[in-house]
Amino acid sequence: MSDEVVFLPLRRLGALIRSGRLSPVEVAEVFLRRLESLGPRYNAVVTITRERAIEQARRAEREIAAGRYRGPLHGIPYGAKDLLATAGGIPTTWGAAPFRDQRFDEDATVIRRLEEAGAVLCAKLAMVELAGGMGYRQPRASFTGPGINPWNAEAWSGGSSSGSGSAVSAGLVPFAIGSETWGSILSPAGYCGVTGLRPGYGRVSRHGAMALCWTLDKLGPLALTADDCGLVLDAIAGHDPADPTTTERPFHYTGVDVEGRRFRFGVLKNVLASVEEPVRNNFQRSLDDLRRIGMIEEVELPDLPWEVATRTILHVEAASAFEDLIESGRINELTAPEDHYTAYARDAILAKDYVKALRVRRIMAREADALMSLFDALVAPGRPTVAPPLDREFRSALSGSTPDLMGAVGNGAGLPAVIVPNGEGDRGLPTSLQFMGRAWEENTILAAARAYQTLTDWHLRHPVVT
Amino acid sequence: MDTTGFSLDEVDLLFQLVRARYGDRLTPTELDELRKGVEAVVKSARVLRGVRLSNADEPAQPFGPFRGDS
Repeated sequence: MSDEVVFLPLRRLGALIRSGRLSPVEVAEVFLRRLESLGPRYNAVVTITRERAIEQARRAEREIAAGRYRGPLHGIPYGAKDLLATAGGIPTTWGAAPFRDQRFDEDATVIRRLEEAGAVLCAKLAMVELAGGMGYRQPRASFTGPGINPWNAEAWSGGSSSGSGSAVSAGLVPFAIGSETWGSILSPAGYCGVTGLRPGYGRVSRHGAMALCWTLDKLGPLALTADDCGLVLDAIAGHDPADPTTTERPFHYTGVDVEGRRFRFGVLKNVLASVEEPVRNNFQRSLDDLRRIGMIEEVELPDLPWEVATRTILHVEAASAFEDLIESGRINELTAPEDHYTAYARDAILAKDYVKALRVRRIMAREADALMSLFDALVAPGRPTVAPPLDREFRSALSGSTPDLMGAVGNGAGLPAVIVPNGEGDRGLPTSLQFMGRAWEENTILAAARAYQTLTDWHLRHPVVT
Repeated sequence: MDTTGFSLDEVDLLFQLVRARYGDRLTPTELDELRKGVEAVVKSARVLRGVRLSNADEPAQPFGPFRGDS
């Protein structure tokens, strides 16, 4: 079988498998070969799970032939960020040298649910060490090397779900699972020109996933289209007794486009204040596209310390989650030099200030919902810049990152967001557009993103990978 | 309370705490960087302390009593 199955949307790939025109084993072989031959070029892969993949693909082939079709992911290969536990002796490294030989006895809930859906695990994908929780400031922060962008080998793939972004972008897997505490799905999806969905907090079980920040961590898909992301979310969402933060609210991906549907979009005032010119231009063009399917209104959020509160919570919980590693000094075994000491400063965060951040967070969630209730989505550039060069710091120790109000609001308040490619910026790199929704409105933002993708073809463009 | 100013005293005191705990592991350059991190912490704390809340504003943190047989 040739590589003609690469870059097919999941519904098309699934239909070909279901009809018997494609063999799940042959499809798995195509993607395993690409992971083996092209994965190292992008530092995208930690472990190729060939044995498990072939076993799952053979099972899918038998079941489908016997008429036991499990659904649209049956027989579809995928990759998982290497912070999701996998049984069977497959390492789960968390992207960090001190954990490179770590193994678990059971699969994470997400891995188990994808197995139940018939998906085929082909690889554990590279990531920024400890999902960036020790304060990395530049791309060389993983023991597998910096994530390399398929659109430009001198550019970063983004992080912390680095391999999840680059592997989907380069056609090494049809979809991948990533995680986001703050930006770790949106960054690699945006920089690599693919679609990424950050589900709302509590939508997807985190059981078996590395904990970075218990009240901010989310798991979600990266794929070629918004529809693909919806199909994957449908398989992995739902309450899990093993993760008490998961919601009892059911999720069923609708995936049905209502002809002539009109959306209400909000745009935060000053959202373009810190973005590059090509990003700004592409966003303005996207707004023109969105006016064809809805109305757009400029809006403001109340003056609250959105970024400071979310960052304080992240830093304190991460320092606690990795207390042993930090206290023991083993953080000096991490790859990024700044990860050897940055977390020590978090001892200076006073307990009262942390609790204040949690109290402010409740106000933030309430105020965000009051605004979001007026709209189907807030839209904004997915990233303020295109992917940075591999050798450049993208934030400083003192002043932090480029302002990211959308990220602070969305992650701090636990809101879903989907990011889609929306153009080309400097150095041949993709730019992106994000849709952020009200709590539990994944279907609404996916519908908006699908509508956008029916108007544009950026999601159909792929890097040249040979 | 001054919520916009920057207290060097607080930075110094907290940095001394951090240095006492971890200083023997760090180079002078790393200590300089770490001090910047402590400055960022104090700056953030000042912003948080400037937000006025009422007694009824609880943390966004669920807690429930545990009972093993339910």
